[in-house]
Amino acid sequence: MSAMKKYKDLVEELRSYEGLASMFAEAAAGIDAAGDSEAIEAARVAHLGRKSKLSQLLRSIPELPNEEKPVVGKYGNKARAALEQALADRKKEIEGVQLEHRLATEQVDITLPGEPFPRGHLHIINQTLWEIEDIFAGLGYRIAEGPEVESDYYNFTALNTPEGHPARSSHDTFFVDGKEDVLLRTHTSPVQIRLMEKEEPPIYAIMPGRVYRRDSDATHTPMFHQIEGLAIDEHITMADLKGTLETFMRAIFGADRVIRLRPHFFPFTEPSVEMDVSCMICGGAGCRSCKNSGWLEILGAGMVDPNVFGFVDYDPDLVQGFAFGMGVERIAMLKHGMTDLRMFYDNDLRFIKQF
Amino acid sequence: MKVPISWLKEYVAIDMSAAELADRLALTGTEVERVLHVGLPVDDGNLDRFVVGRVKKKGAHPNADKLTLCEVEVGDGKVEQIVCGAKNFKEGDRTAVCLPGGTLPDGRKLEAAVIRGVESRGMMCSESELGLSSESAGIMILPEDAPVGTRLVDYIPFSDEVLELEITPNRPDCLSVYGIAREVAAITGAALAPEPTQDVEPRGGDSIEELITITVDDGELCPRYGARLIAGVRVAPSPTWLKARIVAAGMRPVNNVVDITNYVMWTLGEPMHAFDLAKIAGPSLNARRAGKGEKITTIDGTERKLDQNMLVIADATKPTAIAGIMGGAGSEVSDETTDILLEAANFNGPNVMKTEMALGLRSESSTRFEKGLDAEVVPKALAMASRMMVELCSGRLVPGEYDIYAEPRSEQAIHLREEKVTSLLGIVVPGAEIEAILSRLDFESHREGDSLHVTVPSFRADVEREVDLIEEIVRVFGYELIPPTLPSDVRVMGGLSPYQSAERKIALALTAAGINEAITYTFIAPDFADRLRLADDDSRRQVVKLANPLSIDQSVIRTLMLPSLLMSVATNLSMRNPDVNIFELGRTYHTVAGEKLADERRTVAGCLCGSLRGESWMHAGRETDYFTGKGIVEAVFSSVKGSFSVERCDEPFLHPGKSAYVVIDGKRAGYMGEVHPLVLEAFDIDKPVVAFEILEDALIASSAGIVIFEDLLTFPASFQDIAVVVDEQTAAEEIIRVVREAGAPLLRGARVFDTYTGDQVGEGKKSIALGLEFRSPERTLTDEDVDGARAAILAALGERLGATLRG
Repeated sequence: MSAMKKYKDLVEELRSYEGLASMFAEAAAGIDAAGDSEAIEAARVAHLGRKSKLSQLLRSIPELPNEEKPVVGKYGNKARAALEQALADRKKEIEGVQLEHRLATEQVDITLPGEPFPRGHLHIINQTLWEIEDIFAGLGYRIAEGPEVESDYYNFTALNTPEGHPARSSHDTFFVDGKEDVLLRTHTSPVQIRLMEKEEPPIYAIMPGRVYRRDSDATHTPMFHQIEGLAIDEHITMADLKGTLETFMRAIFGADRVIRLRPHFFPFTEPSVEMDVSCMICGGAGCRSCKNSGWLEILGAGMVDPNVFGFVDYDPDLVQGFAFGMGVERIAMLKHGMTDLRMFYDNDLRFIKQF
Repeated sequence: MKVPISWLKEYVAIDMSAAELADRLALTGTEVERVLHVGLPVDDGNLDRFVVGRVKKKGAHPNADKLTLCEVEVGDGKVEQIVCGAKNFKEGDRTAVCLPGGTLPDGRKLEAAVIRGVESRGMMCSESELGLSSESAGIMILPEDAPVGTRLVDYIPFSDEVLELEITPNRPDCLSVYGIAREVAAITGAALAPEPTQDVEPRGGDSIEELITITVDDGELCPRYGARLIAGVRVAPSPTWLKARIVAAGMRPVNNVVDITNYVMWTLGEPMHAFDLAKIAGPSLNARRAGKGEKITTIDGTERKLDQNMLVIADATKPTAIAGIMGGAGSEVSDETTDILLEAANFNGPNVMKTEMALGLRSESSTRFEKGLDAEVVPKALAMASRMMVELCSGRLVPGEYDIYAEPRSEQAIHLREEKVTSLLGIVVPGAEIEAILSRLDFESHREGDSLHVTVPSFRADVEREVDLIEEIVRVFGYELIPPTLPSDVRVMGGLSPYQSAERKIALALTAAGINEAITYTFIAPDFADRLRLADDDSRRQVVKLANPLSIDQSVIRTLMLPSLLMSVATNLSMRNPDVNIFELGRTYHTVAGEKLADERRTVAGCLCGSLRGESWMHAGRETDYFTGKGIVEAVFSSVKGSFSVERCDEPFLHPGKSAYVVIDGKRAGYMGEVHPLVLEAFDIDKPVVAFEILEDALIASSAGIVIFEDLLTFPASFQDIAVVVDEQTAAEEIIRVVREAGAPLLRGARVFDTYTGDQVGEGKKSIALGLEFRSPERTLTDEDVDGARAAILAALGERLGATLRG
């Protein structure tokens, strides 16, 4: 709305003093006509500046006849305030238009890629390890670690696998040159022994790490990762093992997974089991990944063998517990669908950056 | 262990499919690798197309000299015309006939065909065509009583399903068909037939003791040695049914004598050996340890060196078998053999295992003995084998036998508490159920209050303790009945240790900086030390070496992370990955004099090659250099609130001018810098690489720990910039130290924001511009405060470093 229209009533009032109304009309028209910020400034100087007619009239009040003084004072200041407001309104109006124009012309191709901020990727094995660690941390487990160049005693003997035990031959062990009883650990289980030697029950711990076996093809790499779990307390049962594994599997593979235990043999647990999880690819109906069985073999577990307790001076009549161990690569492969184990260790960035 | 279903069914009445049985076995502890089919395919009525036939007429082929034209009766009065290439038969012989449409075990399908102008409707099969042997010299001739027209499979069991089982090492009793039958009976409740161990009557005059002397010198390694003599055998191919069984079990038929020993081993789990009596010097046999330097050539034709830890069966002059592992070529049964010494023995498992590992020689026999076998099977195996030799090799069992068994097995009994069953399993298994399960597994038990007194059968040497019995109970009872629970009284706290949390922070700082995590093999090629230009006396040449590496390239354990990472960089560059920025949280391994194990040092290391930010349409990538590496190392330290200083570095694998030691508390804890061009060349890398490697222990220990609050907000800081000119050799770190010391306590920050060398400052000089931040936690600083501090700083710089304010 133009200033003239907006202040129509004021103009009527201003007619009570000779010349004020036309002075106002002239100024208002000037403000209305200003098209940019410079014109606005010019209008301000012309109609409200020191040399403007209105300013001169207001400055001349002391010299006016007494009866005119209050009239000019009242209506002159009213007119001044109205013009100042009109000027501010017009200025805002013009700025609005200018801004709109600027925004309308400043258009980018929103489909161009963003500025590349560097982001590295954790290796998928480590991501999987962290996920498993966090699940067990939530169940009250600590994380323990141990050496990879290990003695025969911790890797085999103290795990109830003495020399000449048939279970040894399946391990394809790397031995250290020049030291008969030193080897690269074939599993993370020796950390159990080291932990139990050092500490008294209750123990709730998982033990991740690199392990080594002398084997290399699409499903075996000479180095891989295992994660071991150990819970030793007064009343730990096989039912607790089953519940713990079920909780873990649901956390990592989805809430609708079910597990089953199959009897197995490990020298360091008795009873020993293998745990299968219902296939997350076919939901248990049978597919290539589960060889049509509906089940995927995931890990080995069992109740810690009393002989193992013997090696670490625990009394099997006072404490009992379970242990389990799994291949981290296998979990990662099932979760993400890789089929060739060797890719994990080629460290090709095209592979690493996928995850 | 391959178990043909038809064989299994001889001993146990199975009333379920092979697939159902496989499931039941799997859930009770016998892993089933797969269910195979051997022999003739069964689909589409294929078995009906293989029949017993009789050659009615054998005549010449009109158009081919090498072929015969036959008329063959195939049952129901039908006669087919068949062209045959073999010659080894005559009219009246019975043979295996494949009728048109039949599919052979190898998948070939036979159709009626015209061969050299004459129609042939079927094929007379050889053993190899039927999958019964690897080669054969003609068609298969069946015994005269073979009923013409019968389906071949009803006569010879060679279309069979075979369970391929993975037997755990604690259950050598299951490495036998009868053992599996016993297991199947226990887990399904099916009826079990008695062991097939009926003996045979001896005949003739001289007894075995008069014909051969047998002794056992080492009763520890040979707890039991049994032997019998079979005289007058005729060594020949085995009958077809036996060959079919041997093939179905995954072995190779040899001759009747060898096949019988293998058949008995497969049935009862007891490996046997047959010696040619005529080739035993003495004749005498003795189970003794090998002498130093003794040798034997085994039946596979290999000469093997023996030592005193190995048990041999020796004749009067030399070892003639490696006990339980493999026989010697010298006493091997041949076609001329007439008298057979049959051995069934029990050998010490761990010793067999040691010997086979030392010799690198494993056999069906040794893989059983190594697990420790039941000595009670010895006489049963001798009985079964004797009977078969008499029946199938026309032999005569010589009266008498050897059975040297110094310490017969004593009965093994275990006390089983029901309460322990419950407390270990977390579920109550009713007492009656426990007794029933044990009884089905051949354990005898009687009740003593809340406990059971349990007697263990001889073939279950793996069951020694209460807990072993509990396992037997639960595996038959069923794991599916155990409820899932969680430990109910956890009284400890879980989670990551501060160290482990710090490790994660380091990894996250590195990924946040754009670096990708690699995981490399810890074993590398031994020439890494040369490639890294390590001096001859560099301690990092003292590596842990593998005795049995897979290859030379993976034969030593790294003492530095760098070679592993450089190899990954090279691989990635060869894959045309342009920017290779990788890190690894790993370990290096160092030998320690007098210590058995290695010193394993947790290390964070990285290699930067190319640009970190990557090229984009917005800007070109910036190649990494020393300062990129240092920035990354600073970020790593910052992630754990740690700090470090630097020292000029003389690592032979780094650029001498652009590398530094990372120093923590005056001790070197790693390095960072540009990799030496010669090293890059040695790793086939043609772009500059910046590397760093820091010991995690020191890095994490450098952490300032808990941050104590400092008021940075209440009173404003004052900022001043100064630029000073110093000698070009003066280190920036030195300047900052002087500034900090002189500016204390009001100076709270000093950072380099520019450096300059050139005409404006003159030769041998450089200018360094610093941004200074002054602050007091107690008040707002006045101009006089700041001016005073600034003047003190400039004075100290001038006095100590000869620095002048740049005009």
